[in-house]
Amino acid sequence: MQQARRAGDHTNMVFHFLLHGHIMHTTSWFLFFPGEKLCSAEDCVLGTGVYLRHGYIHSSLAGYVVRKSEGKELPMISVVRGTELQLLPDVGAIVTCKVTSINPRFAKVHILKVGSTSLKDHFKGTIRKEDVRATEKDKVEIYKSFRPGDIVLAKVMSLGNVESSYLLTTAENELGVVVAHSESGAVMVPISWSEMQCPLTYAKELRKVARVQAKHLEA
Amino acid sequence: MPTDTKRVRGPDVSQSPSLFVCQPADGVSPQGPRADGRRRDQVDVRPVFVRCGLVSQAKGSAYIEAGNTKLMCCVYGPRETERKDETDMKCGRLTTDMRFAPFSCPERGSWIQGSQEKDFSTMLQESLQPAVCLHKYPRSQIEVNMMVLENSGSVLAHAITCASLALADAGIEMYDLVLGCSLRQNGASYVADPTSAEENDRGPDQSRNQGSLTVAFLPSLNQISGLQSDGEMSEDTLTAGVRTCIEGCYKLYPLVQQVLSRCVSRAACAPPPR
Amino acid sequence: MAAGFKTADLLEYYRRFLKENCRPDGRVLLEFRPTTLNIGSISTADGSALVKVGNTTIICGIKAELATPTVEAPGKGYIVPNVDLPPLCSSRFRPGPPGEPAQACSQFIADLIESSEIIQTDDLCVERGKLCWVLYCDLMCLDYDGNLRDACVIALLAALKNTQLPEAVISTETHLPVVDLEKRHGLKVCKHPVASSFCIFDESTLIVDPTDEEENLSTARITVVTEEGDRLCAVHKPGGMSLSGQKLQECINRATVRQKEIQKLTDKVLSSVKTS
Repeated sequence: MQQARRAGDHTNMVFHFLLHGHIMHTTSWFLFFPGEKLCSAEDCVLGTGVYLRHGYIHSSLAGYVVRKSEGKELPMISVVRGTELQLLPDVGAIVTCKVTSINPRFAKVHILKVGSTSLKDHFKGTIRKEDVRATEKDKVEIYKSFRPGDIVLAKVMSLGNVESSYLLTTAENELGVVVAHSESGAVMVPISWSEMQCPLTYAKELRKVARVQAKHLEA
Repeated sequence: MPTDTKRVRGPDVSQSPSLFVCQPADGVSPQGPRADGRRRDQVDVRPVFVRCGLVSQAKGSAYIEAGNTKLMCCVYGPRETERKDETDMKCGRLTTDMRFAPFSCPERGSWIQGSQEKDFSTMLQESLQPAVCLHKYPRSQIEVNMMVLENSGSVLAHAITCASLALADAGIEMYDLVLGCSLRQNGASYVADPTSAEENDRGPDQSRNQGSLTVAFLPSLNQISGLQSDGEMSEDTLTAGVRTCIEGCYKLYPLVQQVLSRCVSRAACAPPPR
Repeated sequence: MAAGFKTADLLEYYRRFLKENCRPDGRVLLEFRPTTLNIGSISTADGSALVKVGNTTIICGIKAELATPTVEAPGKGYIVPNVDLPPLCSSRFRPGPPGEPAQACSQFIADLIESSEIIQTDDLCVERGKLCWVLYCDLMCLDYDGNLRDACVIALLAALKNTQLPEAVISTETHLPVVDLEKRHGLKVCKHPVASSFCIFDESTLIVDPTDEEENLSTARITVVTEEGDRLCAVHKPGGMSLSGQKLQECINRATVRQKEIQKLTDKVLSSVKTS
């Protein structure tokens, strides 16, 4: 056990930096296993990868402990694993998806990524007509917004119900189509919030275009 | 008789050569040391070899080898449930599928899943479910696929350990790891982590206290998540047997932790996803 | 950025690599993945082998059973190969009866055994018309990352070379078979075919030993099986993009080199198993 913990030590600083980007007040770098007791519930607030049992915080993952303290509140304790942060799309998460089919009422998509984490298994999602954009909702036409094969940035609105799939929305300037192919097969260039142009034929096609932001660039 | 058109078929009837052996093999002697040199009436489990993360396609995987028993487990998911009526909006589903490779037992098995495999799948599922934080995975399912490559006894016990390692490797949130251990009671004496020969040995006296016991144990929480017992045992014997199995599980725990820590630190060293 | 680009347009991602004559995993176009072999690891089988080609892992276990020969071929035994792709090996396979890829691969192996006469089925006969051996060759995929066929053929050949059959005779008194499990003898494996699979990208680019991703993106696949002495044994090209004669020759040339490498590897591992 002791050995294992030491082995993990030196990789952590780098690893932690990659995860969070900015330096935080951090302490111990120990490896924990599911079920192991971390601390009393009075010392820390629950983060991710942990659970509460009989007044103590236990780890629910095999990974490293991260204590994050902001201000004077209790530090938040989490157990993180490394490469994979999120396995399921949560409400409010920004997801990258691919349009699989469209009809006048909604577009069906496959969710490929949650944040910057690629999902191994694809989840199905739906973008309804009224969730395409924030203004002039009644004039939205799915055909003028998405085409099958487009890569779309969207936000998870709800987990849907038993019959339906995840409900997604693109009703924000930063959300919408990021990659689309023209009819001749080339990757199109966005020219306005509602049009994209093919670099080969200069034909214009209609899309709900996303204003691509630096933080979403990698998607 | 329906024919299997999806496989290459051999002759309609074939028999194992062991049926025609001139002299029957010697039975296991009920006294003295065990065939592999381990001691009776002691928590003398076989040395285990464990590895995590061997299968590139799976979210998490584990391989375990105890004596000649060899098992491989892969975890896929969480993914969308296949059937709409199985979707639970509040809670995830844990599915298990355990199979024996056709060459894993002394007699060749069929490709089609038998009742024993279905029983084992259910028992595996029941032992693992209490340990997995299923409420964290709404409307999705986590699949545990187990393959027995070679059966040399105590398959269920090792399958439980192997599956919980694969789940931990997959980064599925769990309340605790699950470890398995089994024993075979033979009259007054018992053998821990029995081989298949010892499992099938009925012993000379057909009296009381004949049976097998498999325990699934959560080591940090000190709880039992699964218990399976065959045969006839008195209450005292059974209680003592459960204690022995728990002791066997604790013997596995340091090794399991070591293997997991190795695979977690390796994952952290891997280049970050960009 | 790379990861994002990969999700957005996988094919274009590959094209950029192939233009530079390399592949995303760092290989050049006609390079196989590292191949490792482990023989005789399953003691409950009469012969077994585990092969890894890159990530793709195949285990082959051979069980011998006794049966009556068919009326048409009273002096011959049976070899029954089956390939299984259990849900364990990839998220795309479901539990249940074998799907099309598994069936196609089983048939490919069965045809290969029959046409190339790896084993003389006469050798499997114990007594003409009465008793013969059935070799059940069960191939199971444990990790599916493309190029199933090459790995299956390597595993099958290694397992066959590892198989030890018990001695069996028909007793003259009881007319029943008598088996001695202690006395065993090896099988006579006459040939050593090795398969090499290729994929064609965008009409012209030829790559060898495709991964799962490469197989899915390619426009055609081709499998060339060669034996020792540079002899061609089988060519399998199930449709797809057409191929020039020159390209085919290129495939065959690469396959003959591969055959020598694999035969050498198998013999090396076999001899190390025997001496230990």
